[in-house]
Amino acid sequence: MKLWKRLSYAYSVLIFLFLYAPIVVMIVYSFNAEKSRAKWGGFTLKWYRELFSNSDIMEALITTLTIALLSSIIALIIGTAAAVGIANLRKGPRKWLMNITYLPMLNADIVTGVSLLLIFSLMGIELGYVSLLLAHVTFNIPYVILSIMPKLRQLDPHLYEAAQDLGAPPVLAFFKVVLPEISPGIVTGFLLAFTMSIDDFVISFFTTGSGVSTLAIEIYSMARRGIKPEINALSAIMFLVVLALLLVINLRGGKDKKGAENRPVSVRARSSAR
Amino acid sequence: MSKELIRLKDIVMTIGDNEVLKKMNLYIRDREFLTMLGPSGCGKTTTLRIIGGFATPTAGQLLFEDRDITKVPPHKRPINTVFQKYALFTHLNVYENVAFGLRLKKVQENEVKKRVGEMLEMVNLGNYGERTVSSLSGGEQQRVAIARALVNHPRILLLDEPLGALDLKLRKEMQLELKKIQQHLGITFIYVTHDQEEALTMSDTVVVMNKGRIQQIGTPIDIYNEPKNAFVADFIGESNIIPAVMEKDYYVRFADRGFECLDAGFAPNEDVEVVVRPEDIKVVDEQKGQLRGVVESTIFKGVHYEMVIRANGFAWLVQSTKAEEVGQEVSLLITPNDIHVMRKGVAEHE
Repeated sequence: MKLWKRLSYAYSVLIFLFLYAPIVVMIVYSFNAEKSRAKWGGFTLKWYRELFSNSDIMEALITTLTIALLSSIIALIIGTAAAVGIANLRKGPRKWLMNITYLPMLNADIVTGVSLLLIFSLMGIELGYVSLLLAHVTFNIPYVILSIMPKLRQLDPHLYEAAQDLGAPPVLAFFKVVLPEISPGIVTGFLLAFTMSIDDFVISFFTTGSGVSTLAIEIYSMARRGIKPEINALSAIMFLVVLALLLVINLRGGKDKKGAENRPVSVRARSSAR
Repeated sequence: MSKELIRLKDIVMTIGDNEVLKKMNLYIRDREFLTMLGPSGCGKTTTLRIIGGFATPTAGQLLFEDRDITKVPPHKRPINTVFQKYALFTHLNVYENVAFGLRLKKVQENEVKKRVGEMLEMVNLGNYGERTVSSLSGGEQQRVAIARALVNHPRILLLDEPLGALDLKLRKEMQLELKKIQQHLGITFIYVTHDQEEALTMSDTVVVMNKGRIQQIGTPIDIYNEPKNAFVADFIGESNIIPAVMEKDYYVRFADRGFECLDAGFAPNEDVEVVVRPEDIKVVDEQKGQLRGVVESTIFKGVHYEMVIRANGFAWLVQSTKAEEVGQEVSLLITPNDIHVMRKGVAEHE
């Protein structure tokens, strides 16, 4: 029995090693003073310093953050309105619309990327910052809808009426009561959209034009010229940022009384479809 | 009696193919405690929603002090509602929940403080202002919902089965408390319930509804003692309802024999129905009774025993503080006072 327990323990360690070793190695090497990957030349922050003085990377960082922020906010507005509408539909149409909402999340990124590219060129939208933003808004909307929907479904339908009963006109009743009541879902949706936007490479790659790159694209183009230690440093930072965001999202879900039920679809759904 | 406050005039409500309300006519007086009583699906909640402004009738008018308010939105009506599951705002604390309506009306801060304080005091939640709504028990949430509605000084308070989620003891306490609040504030209460005991306990007027129609309007005593038809008799308390023939005034025949009664004004030999309440049938010594029967079952109900006694082809429900053994032969007495004769299949406004 004891042996069995030890074996299963060892097996778990092995699995996690397999999953996380590459990332750990990358983070460790981002502090390696030696430029070669073959040997350890002592601890340094040189690569991080170089990273922040590299204007290309800094520009990509700003693009990534502004795209993430703008696309999340726009997706939040569109997604919240859509969720409220869907939640008030009859059961049949509601199920249909929810399935249609799910589909883009499960769709392979490459398909989404290519189809967006196609539609942008059909519509004559020049590839660049705007097309990139539109693409990110597009793939972020489902995450917002799916984070808000459980909150809306739990909402007592009489709350909206109660607000009107107490003297609020319909629009005010929505903003004073419904919106605050579903705000946990809205915040989760925002964080999720923000994370997905930072995380995205494939769709961005297809929908951006010359001169506009996100960090993911910048790393890709740098890596094609050979892995430089700065890339390790940059990837390490990105990993930690996304990890932090995911932690926040999941802790928020856990704090909720009916956490499991509220938790938006597995946050890695899209990634796993890659 | 005080003056009329609100009137439903020929109200029809159709949802899909379903006629939920069929030409409903009803007026409610100022300061009245009126209860709409009926089984689920009888249209009582729909009526309440029409008065509150949450549903627009298919046809008919809603008059508030002779002014047509059928199309006035809820936020402009001098009416507030206590919803079935309270519908409290969980993102606000108790104080802010109660202050919600006053803040919308831009009432001054010190006035808000005074009125909310008074209201919370009245519902015995004086120190609960800072508490979150989710930390309260069902009964406490109920009180917050009542305070939140009443703080706006509505002319009418609508209550949609507000005590349904509470346990029996708490429900009884709240019934008395609601009645007290209503009398203290002098506000018209329109109360919806399917619990006949609740309706009889609290109301000035009871409106019994079934299938979108008003069956009877009256005081609790009227409704109990003189039900207009079999539905009302059956719904309000337990009763024996027997087909009968009104042979002449003050004389009715049922269960194969004639009985003296107090009712008159029927056609000779008109087919009618007779109600006899189970507590009014007396088990008496042989010779003294009118019906002879055999006890089929006896159940202990706390205050009394409830027996089914078969006599003259009917199973009579009889309540008595003294139990009879099953199989025992007994004699039953029904005095004229205990017989109530009803016309067949009559509903009010038909």
